[in-house]
Amino acid sequence: MTNLTLIQAVNQALQQEMKRDPTVMVLGEDVGKNGGVFRATEGLWQAFGDERVVDTPLAESGIVGVSLGLAVNGFKPVAEIQFDGFLAPAFDQVISHVGRIRNRSRGRFHAQLVIRVPYGGGIHAPEHHSESPETYFVHTPGIKVVIPSTPYDAKGLLLAAIRDPDPVLFFEPKKIYRAFRQEVPETDYTIPIGKARLVKQGHDITVIAWGAQVRTAEQAVVQAKVDADIIDLRTLSPLDTDTVINSVTKTGRCVIVQEAPKTCGLAAEVIARINERALLSLEAPVARVTGFDTVMPLSRLEDSYLPSPERVVKAIKKTMEF
Amino acid sequence: MVLEFAFPDVGEGITEGELRKWLVKVGDVVKQDQPLADVETDKAVVQIPAPQAGTILKLHFNEGDTMHVGAVMVSIGEKGEKAAPEARKTTSVVGDLEESKEVLQAPEPEAVVPVQPGVFHALPSVRKLAKEKKVDLSQLTGTGPGGRITEEDVTKAGGGKPRAAPASAMIHMRKYDFYGYIDHLPFKGVRKLTAKRMVQSLYTATHVTTMDEVDVTRLVELRERWKIKLSKEKIHLTYMPFIVKAVVHALKKHPVLNAQLDEEHDDIILKKYYNIGMAVDIPDGLLVPVIKGADEKSIRDLAKEIQELAQKAKDRKLDPGDMKGGTFTITNVGVIGGIFATPVINFPEVAIIAIGRIHERPVVEDGKIVIREILPLSLTFDHRVVDGAEASRFLETIKDHLNDPALFAIDRD
Repeated sequence: MTNLTLIQAVNQALQQEMKRDPTVMVLGEDVGKNGGVFRATEGLWQAFGDERVVDTPLAESGIVGVSLGLAVNGFKPVAEIQFDGFLAPAFDQVISHVGRIRNRSRGRFHAQLVIRVPYGGGIHAPEHHSESPETYFVHTPGIKVVIPSTPYDAKGLLLAAIRDPDPVLFFEPKKIYRAFRQEVPETDYTIPIGKARLVKQGHDITVIAWGAQVRTAEQAVVQAKVDADIIDLRTLSPLDTDTVINSVTKTGRCVIVQEAPKTCGLAAEVIARINERALLSLEAPVARVTGFDTVMPLSRLEDSYLPSPERVVKAIKKTMEF
Repeated sequence: MVLEFAFPDVGEGITEGELRKWLVKVGDVVKQDQPLADVETDKAVVQIPAPQAGTILKLHFNEGDTMHVGAVMVSIGEKGEKAAPEARKTTSVVGDLEESKEVLQAPEPEAVVPVQPGVFHALPSVRKLAKEKKVDLSQLTGTGPGGRITEEDVTKAGGGKPRAAPASAMIHMRKYDFYGYIDHLPFKGVRKLTAKRMVQSLYTATHVTTMDEVDVTRLVELRERWKIKLSKEKIHLTYMPFIVKAVVHALKKHPVLNAQLDEEHDDIILKKYYNIGMAVDIPDGLLVPVIKGADEKSIRDLAKEIQELAQKAKDRKLDPGDMKGGTFTITNVGVIGGIFATPVINFPEVAIIAIGRIHERPVVEDGKIVIREILPLSLTFDHRVVDGAEASRFLETIKDHLNDPALFAIDRD
């Protein structure tokens, strides 16, 4: 076993699955000869050739549309959208076709398709390169939405996503692509889609996060010196409500950390579910620490926008002292 | 040939070390085993020797860096050779990716979130009140819906008076309505319980009533004779003991009427004991004391016990135990004047019989009109368990015994 970064774990998963299953393909901008802007697809073109690793034009709608066509005809494409902000041109394909093909064909066709998207801020990138658009897709039926937060989970979840019979949007938190390493087994393993990860168990408060914000939550819990359950949602759609409810029923307090803008973000949905099923266990209103209802700022103000451990600590304290 | 020399495990199972000081620089020619660097591990400062002779091409760490075991620390080769180029990490458009040597713990198998003992439910407002009153909610038993702890539970536990119910919850008792004057009776106690039981019975069992009449002329004669005799023993002999006896005979012959339906387990429970309930009218409602083991008691015993139970019921001195364990119920509607009735089964029993008023009636017998004492009977049965034919046969057995009390002596119970 070797210590891999999250991006290396993604690369290993792609390598192994392409070797195992000849119907798996990779499509995207610069994914072939170049190996991808983040090196996620490095070595794939050399190993599997340009029939299976396809450099596409700069046309995201086309990438997803072609991938859907391939998927309906029995291939398992893994499309890469180079940056979160570039999902918008592909939005029509995802919403209007990818998420509906099973329903539209009354179950005769399905799309075994993964769309990988490096997402989120914190890397001092230009506009359209730092967005957190997960909520649009969580809101859309027919698509699963997965976000790993560790190298180990990245490999297991990506393999599960490629093998899932339905379309999966696979958001990779690019801020932590190389921020740490973890032992990742060379062996084939999957992590079930739809199951949250209990990062740490405690009794006083539940802190919920996903993607890069799991680290923020962990750091905040240490700084606040509270005995907390930390939940990494891991799959945003379908949401693992049971794990959330079990934890909040136990602790009675909850803080949710979300990088995306506040209004209508996933945190709001989690709070609604807590209200539906655990209201009578609550000791305090559920708090959320989120981005702001503004366009993601450029690099100079980025740190003011992103949830920081300090902001999360404040919310934890307020919730504990309510 | 360039050797990419990785930081070796210098002690027992160390995983990392801090590079304190390079003892060589790029371009130096080193001999085999010449010290390359001082490295501090968690145990000690050690010197890392060169694995082979050659020229230092590249130092991969700076002094003060933490090196993980297995990471390439130095490239050694021939003079003029180049260290292997570093793999490209990103292209320029991307921005800066944070990089560190931090290693996360491998994931552990996930434990299930333990369900805490003492989990309780309470509205946030109740929790706030509990905090103010310093009441430990985990120690309370909630009386609200679904065991929820209510404001009242907290106030009681805190020793304070419950807050007055809001005005909207108070019902103003008017003495009249739109059409005229009215009175109010409290709906509680026996009345309320009776109502609950009746509804449960009617909504669960399928009630069917069959009615018949029986000529009890001989029973009337028998009872008249023995009434006088037993009155010397202060026993008031009614028809009830005879009816109880007849019922027990019939239940033994038709066991499905001495039963209970357990729907949950798909089970019809046939009872091998004969506890006969007897509805007693009291001012507050209806009580049903139970004669236990009626099959083992004589007419005289039954007469005595019925008398006692009826008195206890009227005095409201029945124990709860006196009213439990019944398997079949008799209700006497004739005592006041009724003929037939459609009695409601005393759930979970499966049948009930109503006894009407014994009265003289002209009856055709062998082509002649004669005067006979007639007893009307109404049997309600739960059609889920008992069918009409079996109910009719049951009623026939009762009729046979009441028509000819000699059968009590001839047939065994």
